Amino acid sequence: MSENRLEIRNLHARIEGGAEILKGVDLVVPAGEVHALMGQNGSGKSTLAKVMAGDPSYEITDGDILIDGESILEMEPDERARAGLYLAFQYPVEVPGVSIANFLRLALNARREDDDEIGVMEFYEKLQRAVKELNWDESIIERNLHEGFSGGEKKRSEILQLLVLEPKYAILDETDSGLDVDALKVVSQGVNAARGANFGALVITHYQRLLNYIVPDKVHVMSDGRIITTGEKELAMQLDDKGYDWIKSEVASGAAPA
Amino acid sequence: MATLTDNPLLSAGALEAVIRNGGDPEWLAEERRAALRTFMATPWPTERDEDWRYTQLDRFSVTNLEPTDGPASREVSERIRMRMEDSDAEGILVHANGETIERIAKIREEGVIFSDLRSAVRDHEDLVREHLYSTVNAHAGKYHALNAAFWQNGTFVYVPKNVEVELPLGAFTTADRGGLSMGRTLIVVEDNAKVTFLDEYTSDPFDARLFHGAATELVLGPGAKVRYLSLQNWGRNVAHMNRLAAKLGRDARLESLTVSVGGDAARAEVNSSMQGPGSESEMLGLYFADKGQHYNQYTLQHHEADHAFSDVLFKGALRDASHAVYSGIIVVDEGAQKTDAYQTNRNLLLDAESEAVSIPQLQIGANDVRCSHGSTTGPVPEDQRFYLMSRGMQPEVAEHLLVTGFLYEVMSRVTLPKAAEYVERVVQAKLGVPGVKEKL
Repeated sequence: MSENRLEIRNLHARIEGGAEILKGVDLVVPAGEVHALMGQNGSGKSTLAKVMAGDPSYEITDGDILIDGESILEMEPDERARAGLYLAFQYPVEVPGVSIANFLRLALNARREDDDEIGVMEFYEKLQRAVKELNWDESIIERNLHEGFSGGEKKRSEILQLLVLEPKYAILDETDSGLDVDALKVVSQGVNAARGANFGALVITHYQRLLNYIVPDKVHVMSDGRIITTGEKELAMQLDDKGYDWIKSEVASGAAPA
Repeated sequence: MATLTDNPLLSAGALEAVIRNGGDPEWLAEERRAALRTFMATPWPTERDEDWRYTQLDRFSVTNLEPTDGPASREVSERIRMRMEDSDAEGILVHANGETIERIAKIREEGVIFSDLRSAVRDHEDLVREHLYSTVNAHAGKYHALNAAFWQNGTFVYVPKNVEVELPLGAFTTADRGGLSMGRTLIVVEDNAKVTFLDEYTSDPFDARLFHGAATELVLGPGAKVRYLSLQNWGRNVAHMNRLAAKLGRDARLESLTVSVGGDAARAEVNSSMQGPGSESEMLGLYFADKGQHYNQYTLQHHEADHAFSDVLFKGALRDASHAVYSGIIVVDEGAQKTDAYQTNRNLLLDAESEAVSIPQLQIGANDVRCSHGSTTGPVPEDQRFYLMSRGMQPEVAEHLLVTGFLYEVMSRVTLPKAAEYVERVVQAKLGVPGVKEKL
């Protein structure tokens, strides 16, 4: 079996000193595939995303997270990112005084040796390609990171960064929330552009709507801190029609694979 | 603290030598002697004085200074040379160890005087006499009395009515020997005239301890426009005490920026007196303390006239067990109606060992005014740090961005691009950003 995959094994986590939120998550996203992670509010989806990226406000009590067979559990957030992981935040922060271009150059150079900074031409070509992919005006790269951005622009910026940083595995934490259909299409176009044999993604969402544009290879359903079932892309439609209570009872009765 | 009469540097005899060496006219000699008497009669500040409560007084001590022997060098150092080349000033003075060692002036505008202060006392006696000690004098406090008595040299700028000086003027104050140095800047800008001035304090580190006292007097006539930047980037062996005081005539506008990034300890007092109706004073401050540096900043926005505006924004970042104090007050006199006055201080603590004290105050004697003040002091928001690190940035790179972002609110309001770039570079060098070295 190929080792090229993002893997979560029996992951348990809680807010430092609080109650357990993740109660044994098992999940595999092979390189080259895009998986959807669906679930209701409070099911633990966003916690899972943040725990994977190394958010220091959570405590992992059991289990493991592996990138291509290597555990990243002991790594700091920046080391995880340099190992190839990327989290598109649900609520990206603002960094005044730092342009998108400067920010991304620093982020790219952080992945390289001190004496091997990315060339100016190479960098701008990469950046321009990404900007174009997202139907964005080029002037955006001179704007301060997320300062005065609308919710939709922030989400678009998260995908722009993904395209420039080219991670091996990306987690998209409700990137679709708050987007209108046009914005949704643009963002999806960006994610689809990143798809390829060397890229795996976990797309976290409430709604099936996003999956019309980013068609997943697999759909996982999360409830109460666990993955309760995994299916094909049709599962998302069924969920949309019949709701989460339906799938919970299906799983409980043994009709759906647990 | 020991009595100062013990210190031969500060005796009446030492003062007579200063007067003699400078060839002071009698009126100035008398001012100096009176200032020394005030100095002697004024007790040293203690922690019991409200304005000095949080100041680490021993770091500003002038009693234990040991002056370096021998004649001072009159060479312009490489550090200053590079700073001069980097500035786009029309006129530059270099003061080293209390002496003026260089003057470059390519001033095109007519009637502008740009001179060292001692020469100005000789060549423009009436003008200097009219304005010297008009905003910072011996009664401003113990240290300012010391300056009023002992100032060695400094800068004089005079811009006549309706003249706009296009490019900045500036003075670099430096030292390579220990002891006591005292400098003074006097800037007089007449009706509807305009000038930009940069006072920069910088030195290579040297072994002996130096105390530098600075006084800056800004006199703005009606409609005058002044941009003034004080940039303190001394070597780590220097204690710096600076008082900047401006009086503003009707509809005058002052934009000041006070930067503290160098030295061991620094205290900056920034006062604006809105004496004319409709006058405006924007008072920005920026500091970044590391490795135990101690910075004090005091602001006074004194609204004497109606319809005036003032806005204080002081922001600072601290790390490595550093310490900062901000204390500011808005005073609105009775009758200063329609005053618009704001005061904000924000501190970013980069580690748990650093500490910032912030005391904003209001004293309002009029009833139709808009005033607000606020302060915040806190650590780096964890969500911001996490976000930056999740992009692969090492903790020190993330910190650099967070500090840059935090200080941006001040930097973005600095209207002198060259100076702003330099300040940014100094901050980045202090942060240890890879690839960024402070140009000397």
